Amino acid sequence: MDEMTLSVTTAAVRVDGLSRRYGAIRALDEVDLTLERGITGLLGPNGAGKTTLLSVLATVNEPDAGRVTAFGLDPRDAGERREIRRRLGYLPQELGYHRHFTVAGFLDYVAILKEITDRRRRAEEVARVLAAVGLERRARTRIRALSGGMRQRLGIAQALLGQPELLILDEPTAGLDPEQRLRSRELLSGLPGDPVVVLSTHQADDIAAICPKVIVLLQGRVHFAGTPAELAATAAGRVWAAGERDARAHLSWRGGDNRWRHVGDRPPAGAELVPPTVEDGYLLLSHAAGAR
Amino acid sequence: MTSPSSAGHRPLGDGDWHASPDTLAAYARGQAGQADGADQADGAPAWSVEAHLAECPRCRSALSAHVAPERLARNRSVLLVRAALGDESRVKRALGRCGFPDHVLRLLAATPSLRLSWLLSVIGVLAVLAGEAAAARYGWIPAVGHGRVHAAGPGRIGGYPGQGLAPFLLVAPLLVLAGVAAAFLPAFNPAGRLEVAAPCSGFTLLLVRTVCALGTALVLVVAAAFVVPGPGWLPVALLLPSLALCAFALAAATVVDPRAAAVVAGILWAGPAAWLAVDHVPLLIAAPYAQLGCAAVLCAGVAVLLVRRDRFEWGWMR
Amino acid sequence: MSQGGGDRDDVALLRAAARGDEDALAALYDRHAGWLTVRLTRRCAQPDLVDHAVQDTFLALWREAGTYRGSGDVAAFVWGIGIRRLIDLTRREGGSRHLLAGRAERPQMVVSAEDQVLAGIEHGRLGQALADLSPELRAAIEATVLDGLTCAEAAVLLGVAEGTVKSRCHRARQALRAALAEPQAGPQAGQRAQRHRREAWGAP
Repeated sequence: MDEMTLSVTTAAVRVDGLSRRYGAIRALDEVDLTLERGITGLLGPNGAGKTTLLSVLATVNEPDAGRVTAFGLDPRDAGERREIRRRLGYLPQELGYHRHFTVAGFLDYVAILKEITDRRRRAEEVARVLAAVGLERRARTRIRALSGGMRQRLGIAQALLGQPELLILDEPTAGLDPEQRLRSRELLSGLPGDPVVVLSTHQADDIAAICPKVIVLLQGRVHFAGTPAELAATAAGRVWAAGERDARAHLSWRGGDNRWRHVGDRPPAGAELVPPTVEDGYLLLSHAAGAR
Repeated sequence: MTSPSSAGHRPLGDGDWHASPDTLAAYARGQAGQADGADQADGAPAWSVEAHLAECPRCRSALSAHVAPERLARNRSVLLVRAALGDESRVKRALGRCGFPDHVLRLLAATPSLRLSWLLSVIGVLAVLAGEAAAARYGWIPAVGHGRVHAAGPGRIGGYPGQGLAPFLLVAPLLVLAGVAAAFLPAFNPAGRLEVAAPCSGFTLLLVRTVCALGTALVLVVAAAFVVPGPGWLPVALLLPSLALCAFALAAATVVDPRAAAVVAGILWAGPAAWLAVDHVPLLIAAPYAQLGCAAVLCAGVAVLLVRRDRFEWGWMR
Repeated sequence: MSQGGGDRDDVALLRAAARGDEDALAALYDRHAGWLTVRLTRRCAQPDLVDHAVQDTFLALWREAGTYRGSGDVAAFVWGIGIRRLIDLTRREGGSRHLLAGRAERPQMVVSAEDQVLAGIEHGRLGQALADLSPELRAAIEATVLDGLTCAEAAVLLGVAEGTVKSRCHRARQALRAALAEPQAGPQAGQRAQRHRREAWGAP
């Protein structure tokens, strides 16, 4: 009992029995999870419910069943919901922009939405986030003239306005080239104030690089919650490298060292065990879930 | 207190003189309110330094070293952002001077129906309608309507009351509705999810936008109504139907999908108005019972809107 | 921080900024913000106000660079805008009810011949005479002559009544005139200097 209460008080965000459906489709099915300060990665294929989960956490959607608590606040109460939103930064999956706005104008607009009323403070915040994502020289550019990668960075920048304590990023690295992905890793690892960060991604190496905690979401349910090392360890003993392809393996591809990598239960002839990666663990989990 | 001659000064006329680093450092250290006391070097050397700074770019930039670089860099980036933000359109600047707070203006800038391109299109449509009404009134073209077309001769004002006004009466309130719809429909608001996730009250945001869109559209429609040849009370007669239409659409949007609400509102107006046009009595909308009906719809719509305003805090993401 | 903007002189940078060249504005900032910050800090103890004044100054340059008609003394132009912005901000902070005459955008410095002498490049004697003034008189003279403020503006900056500023300037000028009019050396110089010093240090 004491341990339970301890874990309740330290978790910044708690989700209990969260369910949500769109018509006949169960987007989220009895999801339980907790989030603490630091970065948590949300891993899962398209349609797994990542976007729905993040939108519920961002108080943009209401759950059909279950409850969410953030910093002890319940979004079902209007006043507490507003207080959660004051501490929130959200990057939705397909963020639309008013294309005629300039970069600085758009950030100013979001800053106003976040209730930063003083004009100078807004300018300081806008300058700060522009510097953080490397768009300082683009302050006067119209959004319609930005490339996809720059728009994505702008999306991250608007989420950072106001130094949120809860930062929810839906596929923040989508559309970024490798160098920009590295920069965004640097950015997210060094956020002031140690906020609760949740980011969803397809890329297992993003998870491995910066997320101390990872949650695997498949078909609306949580299939794994733990560290990346633990996720990789679930594939221990089931990843091999060999000189040739094996049809019986779950997945088999030729790696950079010109050897085939197999993920599966039955080792092909002449194969040797190799240490599993986060991606291997994820692949095995999703395969198992798909087989059900 | 060092005498001026020992503070590194030389007599006038020597263009090569520059303040010594110590002098500059001492100058940079001095602060307002500490003119006397220990730092008596504030006297003449401060004067001389400032007078010299006015002439010498080299010493000015040497002085920059005495400011914390982070402070200079921070002010620089804030300055460039404010310069970028300050490049607003002239309309915004004029409105700003009228007393509109600039954060309200920024929120309104995100509304498509307040942009110049939209307003110009509305003016264009109104101009066409007004032109058509005038032409039909003065008999230059046949009036719109099924069957009983009264083609009056050129120069003769004939036909039935309200001849030619039917298209105008039909479309003008729809234009107002379109303006308001553009202020709350998600299709016109690409950053809608950000607005929902933000602490700013969704209802307040909606009100600010729709009221401004409504006001602008009404001004244009009423102005056009003055121009159109017809009864003098025409501009006033258009007010209540337009307001009622918008109130209905907003209230319905709290219950059903907003797009459906806007379309239904449009049809509910267009249907009767077209029927009245066919029967050649479009001016019936100005009849007392019609206006009262519109007023009733307006009040009901506003009531529903207020009761169900919590709906706007969640947006329409489904 | 070295001089930015390459070889372009200040007037060229101003004209470029008037045309919307952001790099020119940045170059102007790099050249002038440092000394402006230091000089304003000597008048105002609050770093926030100084920062805001500096930002506002360059914003004003950005917006109104097209109206600059001077002959090339951009530094003085910058200072004029900066000190008046600082006064504006000080006034708003302090809640003083003083109304500054006219808009403080384009400083019109009207300098009399006497002022020009007083503000001229330092001589040993002038410097000494100034140093001998009491701090209050010296501050009043600095504000009105060196900074080019009107008595009303100086009153806001110094936090005293306008009449006090006027009387202090008057007494300061008297003392300076007397000190400068003396012959350089001589045993009576010391006694006269003593007397002037007593006058100068009289009640404000």
